[in-house]
Amino acid sequence: MSARTRRLAAFTGAIAALAVALSSCSAASSGGGGGGASGSDSSEPGTGGTAVGFIMVGPKDDFGYNQAVYDGSEIIKKKFPDLKVITAENVPEDDNAARTMEQMIDKGAKIIFATSYGHLDAAVQVAKDHPDVVVIQQGNTITDTVEPNMGTYFGTVYEPMYLAGIAAGKATKSDKLGYVYAFPIPQTIANINAFERGAQSVNPDAETITVSTSSWCDPAKQRSAADSLLSQGVDVITQHQDCTKTVIEAAEAKGAMTVGYHADASSLAPKGWITGAVWNWGPLYTDIVQTIVDGKFVGSEYNANYRVGYKTGENPFVLAPYGKVVDAQTKAAIETAKAFLSTATGSPFVGPVIAQDGSIAVAAGKVPTYAEVDGMNYFVKGVIGKLSS
Amino acid sequence: MTTTLPAPRSEAPLPVAPPEAPASDRGARLAQATVRWIAALGGAFLIFSALLISKNANPLTVYTDAWNSTFARQQSIEDIVIKMAPFVLAALAVVVPARAGMANVGGEGQVIIGAVAACGTAMAVGDALPGVTVMVLMMLAGMVAGALWAGIAGAMRLLLKVNEAVTTLLLNYVALDVLLFLIYQPWRADPTGQPATKELQTAAKLPLLAGTTVNVGIVIAVIAVVLVWIALSFTTWGFSLSVVGGNAEAARRAGLPVAKLLLSALLVGGALAGLAGMVHFAGVEYKLRPGFGAQIGYTAFLASWLARHKPIPVLLACFVFAALTVAGDSLQLDAGLPAATVNILTGLILIAVLGWTTSTRKANS
Repeated sequence: MSARTRRLAAFTGAIAALAVALSSCSAASSGGGGGGASGSDSSEPGTGGTAVGFIMVGPKDDFGYNQAVYDGSEIIKKKFPDLKVITAENVPEDDNAARTMEQMIDKGAKIIFATSYGHLDAAVQVAKDHPDVVVIQQGNTITDTVEPNMGTYFGTVYEPMYLAGIAAGKATKSDKLGYVYAFPIPQTIANINAFERGAQSVNPDAETITVSTSSWCDPAKQRSAADSLLSQGVDVITQHQDCTKTVIEAAEAKGAMTVGYHADASSLAPKGWITGAVWNWGPLYTDIVQTIVDGKFVGSEYNANYRVGYKTGENPFVLAPYGKVVDAQTKAAIETAKAFLSTATGSPFVGPVIAQDGSIAVAAGKVPTYAEVDGMNYFVKGVIGKLSS
Repeated sequence: MTTTLPAPRSEAPLPVAPPEAPASDRGARLAQATVRWIAALGGAFLIFSALLISKNANPLTVYTDAWNSTFARQQSIEDIVIKMAPFVLAALAVVVPARAGMANVGGEGQVIIGAVAACGTAMAVGDALPGVTVMVLMMLAGMVAGALWAGIAGAMRLLLKVNEAVTTLLLNYVALDVLLFLIYQPWRADPTGQPATKELQTAAKLPLLAGTTVNVGIVIAVIAVVLVWIALSFTTWGFSLSVVGGNAEAARRAGLPVAKLLLSALLVGGALAGLAGMVHFAGVEYKLRPGFGAQIGYTAFLASWLARHKPIPVLLACFVFAALTVAGDSLQLDAGLPAATVNILTGLILIAVLGWTTSTRKANS
């Protein structure tokens, strides 16, 4: 028998063996990594646990998103001494997330915070498999029916970014602002648009050049994105990345200014720091956990896509301290804008909003709701860069 | 390809297989090897314990918790088996070219391309065909795509004399860009969400082994191990590969079709990695996402080295890597150690075992 025929025979054998293996197995179930429901259905979901779990997509000391989550979990540790707080960092946005959450449930967690946008699929899966556990997801939106033991929550991140845009629009000398972002999701798009509109409100010539990295935290890509922006004459850089250090250091090294994101990183940019939009999760996390342990989760505002902003309460996303480039006049403009955003008719997107292609995205005089902004899928005029969709 | 090896010419003796050691000698060597393994692993855990102590964690507690939540928990065992299936297939993708003296560092990209082909096939076929047919088509598509992807590196090696370690590695980045392009543009399910394809139709998902959450990927992987073992150990092709791997010049003088052999090894490797991508896609993820299959190729590369490029030990090496991943959860959840801690343990084990390999070779030569 020649080597080729033998190989063919081996291949045919493999296919045959596979066919046997496939037919002898049970039918596929749609379940992911479900270990079966635990606990009884009579009690309210989320009650009776001994632990609270937090999964984070990146490291808990990233000068950004995940550090803010970790700081929030530390507050829960203090406020609820009876509950053990278990955290897992670097949990990818795939099936690994479900596995880690299952482990947390086995360790007594009845409340789980899945804190990255892409953790939603796994979170929904785990929530369906464990009706007695409340899984609550940070930043994404559940588009179909919300399970009684699920919910999402977030701040209106684009509101402080609008205010930061005002500061950036005043500070820029080249009228070119740079934005490093991860994925063209509505949350990010709204941020970029709000930033540009804030800048435009004080500087009509300001434009925002965007670069995508396709990753929440990839320092190598961040570095090249920042360098590419700086080489185009951008003198203020901001970002929507989980880890923010690389971009800020790159800007500072080239003498450009920085608007921070997620966490106060002014220590990284003593010269160029303008301001930033940063998280203060403590109060919101505390209220969510309190609601769940009180057995009042089902039907509560958290058992839905909960969004809180200047209009509706205490936005967990706040403006970071100002750097020295921000003058008194700019500060006053920001205060005025903030007061405006807090009114019923206030929004960074009060019509008319003109989209990048010249079409009218929001009609004159119309004020989009938080939910409408959450579905934003276009760049506004003044934003440079193609939105891949 | 000719049917049998041509008779060796007198001036170019064929490399001879090492003579079989007598049984008593082998027993002694086995005992020696066992002692070395224990010493190497013990050393790795000792260093790791020192690290744990420096992090204010009690090593005994950490090991006990990790053991309990990894091996004394049904779901964890199942998780290990689920994780190990693509590792095994992607490790075999290193084993086969390694037999011919080549380094296939492109598992990462071949896994992605295999999954892309599988996903594309499933989307093209839709619900028109029964699930099992779709699965077989996805497997074939994944294998063909993986083979072609590796074939690019093979062709470049043969035509342009570019080292395959470099090309396979660089093709990983191209594969990632192909994936990103597809899920950002033509295959994107939800234009406003994070880029991902739509979920694989339920009928085409790999079935589960009865009563578990484990998909049949592991069965496919074990079959592949056996087939690769047979092909490498008992066929002319496998023997020719090791001749080429041992001394390509000698093989050429002996009349072996070296170019064809090298290319075939890479193609088979690519096909296996492509199959790994299909198994991970249709058995675990069901969707292509930006980080799809990340680290499978590189982990498998290490696993193949750990197994010294032998198909059967690959199973054990991949089990170890999968178990370490699952044990990493416990290090974080129970002991509150940073996520990277488990990578240090993995690195220590790898260094210890590879160091042990070198010393055996010296001792044996």
